[in-house]
Amino acid sequence: MSEKDTTHFGYKQVDKDAKAGLVGEVFHSVAARYDVMNDLMSGGIHRIWKRFTIELSGVRQNNAVLDIAGGTGDLAARFAELVGPEGRVVLADINDSMLQVGRDKLLDQGRQRNIEFVQADAQYLPFPDDSFDCITIAFGLRNVTDINLALRSMLRVLKPGGRLLVLEFSKPGNPLLSRAYDTYSFRVLPLMGRLIANDSDSYQYLAESIRKHPDQNTLLGMMEDAGFCQCEFHNMTGGIVALHRGIKA
Amino acid sequence: MAGAADPTLHTAALAALETALNRALDLAPESKNELAQLKDCVFALHCTAPSFEIYLHPGEQGIRLAGVHAGPITTSVRGEASDFTELATSKDPTATLINGGLELEGDSAPLIELQQILATVNMDWEAPLVATLGDVPGHQLAQMLRNAFAWGRQASVSLSRQLDEFIHEEARLSPPRLEVEDFYRDVHELGLRVDRLQSRTERLRQRLQTFRG
Repeated sequence: MSEKDTTHFGYKQVDKDAKAGLVGEVFHSVAARYDVMNDLMSGGIHRIWKRFTIELSGVRQNNAVLDIAGGTGDLAARFAELVGPEGRVVLADINDSMLQVGRDKLLDQGRQRNIEFVQADAQYLPFPDDSFDCITIAFGLRNVTDINLALRSMLRVLKPGGRLLVLEFSKPGNPLLSRAYDTYSFRVLPLMGRLIANDSDSYQYLAESIRKHPDQNTLLGMMEDAGFCQCEFHNMTGGIVALHRGIKA
Repeated sequence: MAGAADPTLHTAALAALETALNRALDLAPESKNELAQLKDCVFALHCTAPSFEIYLHPGEQGIRLAGVHAGPITTSVRGEASDFTELATSKDPTATLINGGLELEGDSAPLIELQQILATVNMDWEAPLVATLGDVPGHQLAQMLRNAFAWGRQASVSLSRQLDEFIHEEARLSPPRLEVEDFYRDVHELGLRVDRLQSRTERLRQRLQTFRG
């Protein structure tokens, strides 16, 4: 297998065509307990990170918003309130189990008027050019096989002046925090996965995939290479998570 | 390019404050309805010491707080935390805005309306108590709480008045406000007279020098 045909799946090198299926298996496995595990693993801080993403999105009434890898719909639910009845929110996820959990949750909350649910691959978004005012992808980009291809696809479907927001795990700046974070990721997370979700492998993959994801400046460069302008990032919780924003010219 | 300081704490504080405000507004439906009338307004509070920014978005569901806002702003206020506290607790917000240390940009009327709505939030504890304890005990407990709060407010006003009277009239520990104002007026008048006397003596000194020369 040549270097060109492979990609990383956690710390393993796998065939590029196989990664989507492997990631799919991970998320099929965690979908049912995704929200509970998110709250437990982050101590609820993921809600603060998502809240800041919504603030920075600048989404307002009548906007069209695409939430890629939207999972259980935390961001989509809030966007649906902000865009109002005349706006449009599309919750997209490649994984049908996650999409089903998200759809059930939002429908149970009575949110259906301005939300659509689409099973879609971030690399090949099934929407016309210049469709959305804002695109968000929260904790999903690191699972995409070809990040550059996905960024170009997002640029295509954004309207000129539209914003892309990428919320993703990143690299802590402080060495002490980095060491504590490593211990937590590789010892505590798989243990929590085993005890609560009876699935330590998926949470081992979570920790490994974070380490293989590009750091803040590399991702910033990738966004600029894809064609986004005014790119910037905000480190949160010491850089454990970073929010990148780019604008389509 | 990295953005400003880590926004996690600021965002968490705003989330907590927003939840507390909206819980209070849920218990005060009248204030919530009044707030809904300001739904198209955005208020920006720029605090210079300590340095932070809050954007208030009133709406039908309550009030939304944000640390970042891109878009038109109805009223923008800049000042120190103590100035904002003074405005929030003021009985006459218009006078506080004019005489206080706050810088205001935009329309002041919606801001004054917002201040008055938030300052007069009157929470009705009966609904959640009845929902939790049942009709009779909930109503009785709510009645007791209402009486206790009313007594507390009355006692506080009465105590403050009596303490004021004791300090000024009985113990004479401090002069009454009118006496102090009168004294300051006399001091000010004396200051003016001294200034006039000084300029008069200066004029006389110059005239004497002219005669001698």
